[in-house]
Formats: sequence, structure tokens, C-alpha cells
Amino acid sequence: MNRIVVLLAGLLCSGFGVLAQSNTPDVPIFSGALAFQGTSSAGVHSYTPIIVPVFVAPLGDHWLVESRGELQGFVAREDGTTGPYNAQFFASFDYLQLDYIAKSHLTVTVGRFLTPFNIYNERFPLWIANLVDTPIIYTIGTRTSGSSNGGMVRGVAVARPKWNLTYSAYASAATTVENLQAGRTAGGRAAVFVPEAGFEAGVSYQRFLQNGGSNASGFYFAYQPPAIPFDVRAEYAHSPGGQGYWLEGAYRIAPNRDMNTWLSRLQPVARVQQYFKGTPTSIDALPSVNVNQFDVGLNYYLPHNVRLNGSYGRQYSTAGNSNIWNFEIVYRFLFPAWPGGSK
Amino acid sequence: MRKRALSILGLLVLACFAAIAALAQNSGSKTKTVQSTNSEADEGERRFQQNCGRCHNPPDALSPREVKAVLQHMRVRAMLSAEDERLILKYLAP
Repeated sequence: MNRIVVLLAGLLCSGFGVLAQSNTPDVPIFSGALAFQGTSSAGVHSYTPIIVPVFVAPLGDHWLVESRGELQGFVAREDGTTGPYNAQFFASFDYLQLDYIAKSHLTVTVGRFLTPFNIYNERFPLWIANLVDTPIIYTIGTRTSGSSNGGMVRGVAVARPKWNLTYSAYASAATTVENLQAGRTAGGRAAVFVPEAGFEAGVSYQRFLQNGGSNASGFYFAYQPPAIPFDVRAEYAHSPGGQGYWLEGAYRIAPNRDMNTWLSRLQPVARVQQYFKGTPTSIDALPSVNVNQFDVGLNYYLPHNVRLNGSYGRQYSTAGNSNIWNFEIVYRFLFPAWPGGSK
Repeated sequence: MRKRALSILGLLVLACFAAIAALAQNSGSKTKTVQSTNSEADEGERRFQQNCGRCHNPPDALSPREVKAVLQHMRVRAMLSAEDERLILKYLAP
């Protein structure tokens, strides 16, 4: 396990080494988000401050070092609804990877990277996601931590004026080091994207190569019609532990810079999801009962990359029905990693 | 009973999405030709909206060097082509 840590640290150091010698005008950047979330789930209140720093260092036109961490607090009453408030803190590395961008058809990645299964894990960091809660089926295909340690190839396999076919394929080693957990897995994703129509659909597969081995598979689509600021996204995923889907729609009243009125900064959101249990194990992090849930939310885009999210959800299950309220304020930041980089 | 109700609700939501999408597709085809242009920056804007705009707005004022770093990052994340990267750079940092 320590070899994995040494490998990841070595990747970062070698990246800085190349950067120091490259004499290129490239500038590394710090990006990411600060957020504060408040949740009331079945009467249990909790508060979560989060910092998600992203570091990006281009090393010429073909090499790139990227990293994203997550520092998260969790403040809740000791006994759920009674007792004093206790705070816990967690830290994790979502990715720390070295990319070689060979050409449009091929990028080679080594290190720790986000597991490419369906779209939620890779494409919906908290400053993009429309709702605070992750979907119930999120853990299918992303075990054990949402990240993989190993190698990945990806790119545009076929590029045509009207459509293109993208792919990702990866293999990961099992790692139990704190903050760097990953499963021994292999898998991939393929998707067709039609830019003119704003439509994308893809399939995912993962072979979990430990605990006896099992398969996870998934399907997704995303549709953003060019003429109106309306998004529809959906995922279906299946594993021995369970299966389910989510379907989300969001209407963004002003999808570009023309957000001049308070009304144009609003974004109503709705999501429906169903989960059907299979034979869940302790590492699945899936519910042990069937769950149905709907959420409705309202996002408000403030100036200077600040967004407010509020949502209400109702969850139905044999373990008990409950209301889920969420509130979040997110600030998205980006600045150069050293002085003069903004010139 | 609830499961059936939620299933029906899901199907209704999907049907609404499909109807709105179909209407949008029709109105979109009428406006597409108006937007056509030969300039690289305009083509870059179009590619930004088609790829990046699906998830977020254009970033606030960034320097060309910052934009280059962001674009390389997103080229890996969103699997943009080299041509996409070049044209979007023209749009974001002309």
C-alpha cells in the first residue's frame, strides 16, 4: 500500500520537476469551491462545511498534473436529535494524476483518478451538481471511494461533424491507505455525443476484482436542447447489491452571461429516483431496503460565482418515510498559483 | 401502491421532458442558420456552448495563460478534441 502513496507523491514531484525545467509560459492554477451545507433528514439536523481545492499544472502542450482534495466537516448532535453538537473532520484525495495528452484520440492517465462510471461521479462536483444529495445509486460502479489508483486511457475514438464517440478504460489496484482507498477493479465507459442536438448517451461497465468478484453496469443520457436552457439527465445502474435510476430536470432561465434580473438567476430543479435492493454487502454502501424518492429544488446564481441551493425531498421506504431538507451556499474560485499568472 | 405512484410520476416527468425537448428541437432548427459564422472566435463560442455550456457558464475574466490551464484540464475531463481546445481558447482569450 505504501508503494501506492510513494507512486502518487512521486508523480506530483516529477510534475513539479518538469514544470521547473520547462521554461514555458504555462501557469498552474488553483481552483475549486468553498461550500456550506445544512441538512435536515428525518428530523436530524447536520451542518457540513467543505473545501474542495483543485490544482492544475500544465507542463507544455501534452503533459498535465491535476489534483483535487476534499476537506469536510460534519457537525451534528451526539444522539441524532438530542445532546450536544459534535464535529468530525474528514480529508480525502479525489484525484492526483499525471496526464499525457497524446492527441484527440488518446489521453493516458496514471495515478489516482475519478472512476469513470456513468456521469455523476466525474461531472458533478458540488459546484456543478443541481441538488445537494448524491443519487442513491451513486456508489454502484464507483466503489470503494469514487476514485481508482492505476492507469486509464480515454479520448474521442471517432470524431465526425455531426457526432462523436468517446471512451474511457481503466484498471485500478486495491488500496486501503487512509484517504486513498480504491478497489481492485477494471472497467470502462463509451458514449455517443451529438453536439448539434445537445444529446449524449453512454454505457458503463465495471468488474470488481475482489471480494469474490462482481459486475456493475450502467446506462446514462443527458439532453440539453440548444434552443432552451433546459437540462435532462438520467442514470441507470445495476449491481448484485441493487439497481436503480434517477432522472433529473433543471430549467436554467439564463444559461449565459445575460443574468441581469433576479428572475433570470433562478433555476428550478426536480429529480425522481427509485432503488431496488439486491443482495447488498457491507462495502456496497447501498440501502438494504427498496427506496423511492423525489426532490424539488431551487437554485439562485448570485454574482461572483456564488450559488445558493435549496431543496426538499420526500423519501419512501419500508424503513420509514422521511422528509429531507437541504440548503447550500457554494463559492467557486479560480486564481493563478503564483503572482503574475493572471497577466 | 406508492411505488406504482412514483413510477407513474417518473413516467409523467419523462413524458414532459420529451415533449419540451421535441418543441425545443423544432424551434432550434429554425434559429441554427442565423447563428452560423466563419470567425474562429464565434466557432469557439459555439463549441463552448455545445460542450462546456452543458454544465457551466463561461468563466469570468481570465488571462490567456489561465484559460490555457483551464482548457487543458477540461480537455481531459470533458474529452474535448484538440480543435475544440484551440477554438474555445480563441473565444475565451481572443
